[in-house]
Parts: sequence; structure tokens; C-alpha cells
Amino acid sequence: MAGADAAPHRSWTARLRGRIARTIPPGQWLPDRQPQYVQSWIYVFGVATLAALVVVIGSGVALALGGSAWWHTSPVGHFLNSMHLWSVEIFFAAMVVHLWGKFFMAAWRGKRALTWITGAVCFIGSIGTAFTGYLSQSNFDSQWISTQAKDGLNSVGVGAFFNVLNPAQMLMWHIVLLPLVVGVLVVAHIVLVRRHGVVPPFDAVPPAQQETTPTTETGASELSGETTRFESVEAVTAVRVTTRRSPQERP
Amino acid sequence: MAAPMWSAAGRYVDWGVIQISVTNLVIIGLMIAIFVAALLVPFPGGSRHDDAEERDDGRG
Repeated sequence: MAGADAAPHRSWTARLRGRIARTIPPGQWLPDRQPQYVQSWIYVFGVATLAALVVVIGSGVALALGGSAWWHTSPVGHFLNSMHLWSVEIFFAAMVVHLWGKFFMAAWRGKRALTWITGAVCFIGSIGTAFTGYLSQSNFDSQWISTQAKDGLNSVGVGAFFNVLNPAQMLMWHIVLLPLVVGVLVVAHIVLVRRHGVVPPFDAVPPAQQETTPTTETGASELSGETTRFESVEAVTAVRVTTRRSPQERP
Repeated sequence: MAAPMWSAAGRYVDWGVIQISVTNLVIIGLMIAIFVAALLVPFPGGSRHDDAEERDDGRG
């Protein structure tokens, strides 16, 4: 019956399913093949940042369960408090190296501007989250930092809305509001990376382009190597690379 | 007790308007070294990946 077949497509669940499938086509979630150029350490720091974030969230949940008296007095609390700090240190170090790598790759090429923007805003949001974390330690260090920060924030006119001398407000910003913002941005960033693929190096060879007869900047054909150059950067970046080898390389 | 307070605060490097602790300077230097190493050090497992792919393709 045609009516019965057509009815599900009008439902919001079917439309949402179709939207999700169009956003990231099947096979691009958790792919098991990547372009050859991804075999480089510089591509490791994005997922290292994500791994550190998982430890940050896990240790943070444990600290929230135990509370400040627990993390200041018990050995396990001390350990998880330190784990929370050092996972944040690794998170930021990996994220900064990731940022450097993507900056020098011009990672906004190939319609990846929104990927770059979500990553950059996520970095800024993470700084705010870390700062409110320093204010939530509930020790003399957090008191010192808060009193030093209040004048700076008052001077830019946000002291009435963001009172660093209010530990309860800072704790809520640290464990609810800012993690929510960072979490949404991280998910959006990953979705965009899966949708558009990782940015190729400037001299990468997209398989779809290899099917044609590429020419180098000097006009010579160089299909034999991985470092074939094209006449323009746009020719490389406009192609999404989803397979590791070009079709003609396969038997 | 100025001396103990100064030593507790750590050592700092001054270049005009720039003042940075030696600890932070070392950390920044290590991060730059890691960045350069990530660009230059070969990624391990490349040959293993090729072998796996050849098996997948029925060539291995």
C-alpha cells in the first residue's frame, strides 16, 4: 500500500534519520581505512586530546562524587585530584600541538572552515573551563587566583555576571555550563571531521584526481609517487579522500 | 623572610616586558620539540598496515 509506505517518511524520526545519514554517510563513522598521509605522528594529537578529555571527565566525575573534603584528605582522593590535573595538562599540551599542526596545514582548506572554527572556539572554552577549575580547588591556591582574577574581570565589566569570588557559582560553571559548551563543540568538531575527512597535506594525491592525468606545476606527469603535485591547491583540497589507495593501485 | 618566599615562587626569566617561569619555558620548549618530532619521526607500523591491506585484498 502506497499510503502505508509513504507515511513513515513524513514522521520526524524518519526525517531525522535521513538528516543524520546525509550528514555523515555510512562508512565514514569509525572508518578502518585512511589516506596514506594520515600515517604521521602529527595526526595523532587530535585523538590524544580526545583521550585526555575522557580521563578529565572520568576523574572529574569521581571528584564530584567524593567532594572537596574527600579529595583533600583521602589518598584515593589525592590520586584522582592529581589525575584530574595532569590529564588536563596533557589535554592542553596535545590540543596546542594539534592546533599548531592544523594551523601550518591550513586545515580550513576544502570547506573545512567550520571544523577549524569549532576547534578554535573549543580551545577558548577549554581555557575558561580550566580557569574555573583552578577556582574550584577549595584551597589557598584557588583563593589567590580568584582575588587576582577579579580585578581583571571587573575591568572588562563582567564581574557582576561572572563573580570569581563566588566559589559555588564558579563550581557550577566548571562542572555544568562550560563542560556542556565544550562537550557540544567537541561533538560538532568530530562530526565535521568525519564529514569532511582530515585535511590532506598540500602535496597529497587524492585518489579521485589520480584517475585523471594530473600534471605538476612544471607540467610533468608524476603518477608513480605519493607526492604528485597539482597545478593548484584547490584541486587537491576539493576532493574528499576516503580510501587509502587509489583505484588503479588495486588489482 | 624574602629569600624563602622567592625560592618558593620559583625562578623566572626576564626579557624586557616578557617574564616567564623557567618551568613554563621548559614546558613550552618540550612542546615545540614534540611538534618538530611529530613532523620528522617516521610513523611505525606502515609496513604492517600494507600487509594487512594486501591480505584484505587477497594479495597476501
